[in-house]
Amino acid sequence: MIQHRETSNVPPLRLTDVTFGFGRKESAAQSPVLRNVSLTIAAGEVLGILGPNGSGKSTLLKILMRILVPQQGTVEWFGQPPDAFSQSDIARYVAFVPQETQQAFPFTINEMVLMGRYPHHDRTWGLGWEGSHDRAVAMQAMRDLDVAHLGTRLITNVSGGERQRAVVARALTQEPEVLLLDEPTAFLDLHHQLDIARIIRRLNRERGLTVVLVSHDLNLASQYCDRLLLLREGEIVAMGTPEDVIVAASLEPVYGCSVLVDRHPQSGRPRVTLPV
Amino acid sequence: MTVHSKEPGTVEARALPTSALFARATPADGRVAAEGQSVREAIAFSPVKWLGVSGGLGAAALVAFMVCLGFGTEAISFPQVATLLIQGVVAEGGAQDTTQSIILWQVRVPRVLLAFMVGGSLAAVGASLQALLRNPLADPYVIGISSGAALGAAVAILFGVGLSVFGLSVLPFCAFLGALISLFIVYRIAVAYRSFSVHTLLLGGVVLNAIFSALILFLTSLADPYKASGMYAWLMGSLTGPDFQTVSVLAVYLVLGVSILVAQARSLNLLTLGEEAARSLGVEVERVKRVIFAASALLTGSVVAFSGLIGFVGLIVPHAVRLAFGADHRLLLIASGLVGGTFLMVADTLARTLLSPTEIPVGVVTALVGGPIFLYLLVQQRRRIVS
Repeated sequence: MIQHRETSNVPPLRLTDVTFGFGRKESAAQSPVLRNVSLTIAAGEVLGILGPNGSGKSTLLKILMRILVPQQGTVEWFGQPPDAFSQSDIARYVAFVPQETQQAFPFTINEMVLMGRYPHHDRTWGLGWEGSHDRAVAMQAMRDLDVAHLGTRLITNVSGGERQRAVVARALTQEPEVLLLDEPTAFLDLHHQLDIARIIRRLNRERGLTVVLVSHDLNLASQYCDRLLLLREGEIVAMGTPEDVIVAASLEPVYGCSVLVDRHPQSGRPRVTLPV
Repeated sequence: MTVHSKEPGTVEARALPTSALFARATPADGRVAAEGQSVREAIAFSPVKWLGVSGGLGAAALVAFMVCLGFGTEAISFPQVATLLIQGVVAEGGAQDTTQSIILWQVRVPRVLLAFMVGGSLAAVGASLQALLRNPLADPYVIGISSGAALGAAVAILFGVGLSVFGLSVLPFCAFLGALISLFIVYRIAVAYRSFSVHTLLLGGVVLNAIFSALILFLTSLADPYKASGMYAWLMGSLTGPDFQTVSVLAVYLVLGVSILVAQARSLNLLTLGEEAARSLGVEVERVKRVIFAASALLTGSVVAFSGLIGFVGLIVPHAVRLAFGADHRLLLIASGLVGGTFLMVADTLARTLLSPTEIPVGVVTALVGGPIFLYLLVQQRRRIVS
C-alpha cells in the first residue's frame, strides 16, 4: 500500500536514469527507446511531454503507469520502489488515458466508466458489484466530462470525441492523484480539444490533480502546462517552463524544421507557427 | 488492422460528431432530464438485472430440460416426466421400476444433463476467449482449441496410454494438454499481430484445425477398423450413452472450470479494452490470462474428451446473449452458460429424434445451425471494418 498519500511534499512520480528498449535484452540495449531519463514530477503540476514521432513520449508515459518496466534505472511511486505495490495499488493513485480506445463489445458508457472502480475492489469476492459510492464517483466524473447524458448509449455507437471523454471520465473514476494522458486531443475537433484541455486544467486547479500529458500540439501544451519536457530520440533535450522550452533554438533541431515563435495575444505564452 | 467494431445497423452513428457539436453549442434543457434518467438507469442495473436474467434463463433451462426428457422413441408426456422426476428425487428408494422410469432415469436424464453441461461449458469458454482475444468471432472449435483437445484424446484412445492413473482417467488429461497447447499457439499468433486482427486469428485457427485433423486422421488410419469407426463417430460430436458416473465426473470438472471463469468476470470486462488499458486499471494481466487459459483448456479438454467435436455453440450463444443482455461478463458468462446448455439440449433432442431410430451426430446439427450464422457475422464484421 502507498503510505504517503497525505505527505504532499513527496513527489508522486520519480524516474532515475531510466533506460528502456523493446524486445529481447540485447536488442533492447542496442537501440533503447528511452536513454538515461531522470525526471521528478511534483505534486499538483501539469507537465507536458513533447517530441517528434518515435521520440519515446508514449513509452515514458507507460513506464510511469508500470505498463512497461524499464531494463535499467529506478521508478518510484510516492517515494517507494515499484515492488512495494500491486498493479491495482498503483491504479488507485495513477490513472492512464490511452491514445485510442478500441472496443469490440457493446458495453454502455455507464459500464465503461464504472470499470474505473476496479482497483478499489480488487480483493472483493464474488462478482464485485459497484456500490452507491462507486456510482456516485462515476456519475460525478461523467458530469465533469459532459457524458452523463450518454450513460446508456453503447460505447461502440458514440463518436470518437464522446468515447474519448468517456475514457477520461473512467480515469477520473479511479480517483487518481496523478492523471497520465497520451495525446488526449489527437482525435478531437477544435471545440472538444479546448473542452478537454479546460476540464483538465480545472481539475488541476480545483482538486490539485497532478497531470502528465503527451502532446503533438505545441500550442495547446504551451497554453495549459506549467512545465514542459522535450524528448529527442529517447533523451531529454530541454525541460522547464513553456518560455524556456518553446524557443526556436530547442525546437528546430528536434523537429528538423524552422519555426516561428511569438506570444499568444491573450495569455502571453509562447506560440509556435510554421514559416511560409 | 484495427477493428472498429460496431453493432449491426448503426452505420448512421458515423454522422454523430456534427450533430453532437450542435447539441453542445446550444445546451438543451432536455439535458437535465436526460441526466436524471441516466442516474435511474445506473441504479436500476446490475445485481437486480443479474438475478432477474439468470433466474429467468435458469427457469427456461429447467422447462427445456423436462420437455427434452419427454422426446424419444418412447414418448413420455410432460406431466409424466414431472411425476417421475419428483418421485426419483423425493420418494423413498427412488422411482418405481416401470419401463418409463428406467428409460427416463437411466437413459435420458444422463444424456440431457450431459448436453446441458457440454453446451453451457462451450458457451462460457467461447465468451471468455472472445474477451481474452478481443475477438467476437472466437470459438474453441473455430480457432482450433477443440481439435487440439481431440488430438490429445485421440492419442490417448489409440495408444491406450495407461488408461487410468491413481484411479483417474488419463483421457481428459490428454485432451486438456492438447487444448492447452493449441490455445497457447493461437494466443501467440494473435499476439504476434499485436492488434488482434479478426482475420489473422481465424486464419490461424483454420490452419491449426487442418494440421490437427490431419494428425487425427493419420492416427485413426493406424488403428484397427473397429476402433476407427468409433473414433469417427466421436469426432463428429456425440452425446450418446453416458451413464450417471460419467456425467457426475464431468460435472466436477465443468463446475470447477466455469466457476473459475465467472470469478474472473470483472477482469475479463477490462481485458476487452486491451492488455495495456487493463493493466493501467489495475488488472494483473499475466496472472488473469494464465487462469483463463487453464480454465478454458480444462473445460474444452473435458468436454471434448466426453463428447467429441461440437462446434459453434461457443460462438453463436455469447453473441446472442450479448445482444440481448449486454457485454458485462458478470452476467454474460452465467447467461451464456444457461443459454448454451439449453441450446445443446434442444439440438441433441433434435439430433436423436429427427431421423429416429437413426441418430444424427449432434456436432453436425450445431455446425449446420452455427456455420451459416458464423458466415453472416463474418461478412458483417467485414462491413464494419470498411465503414
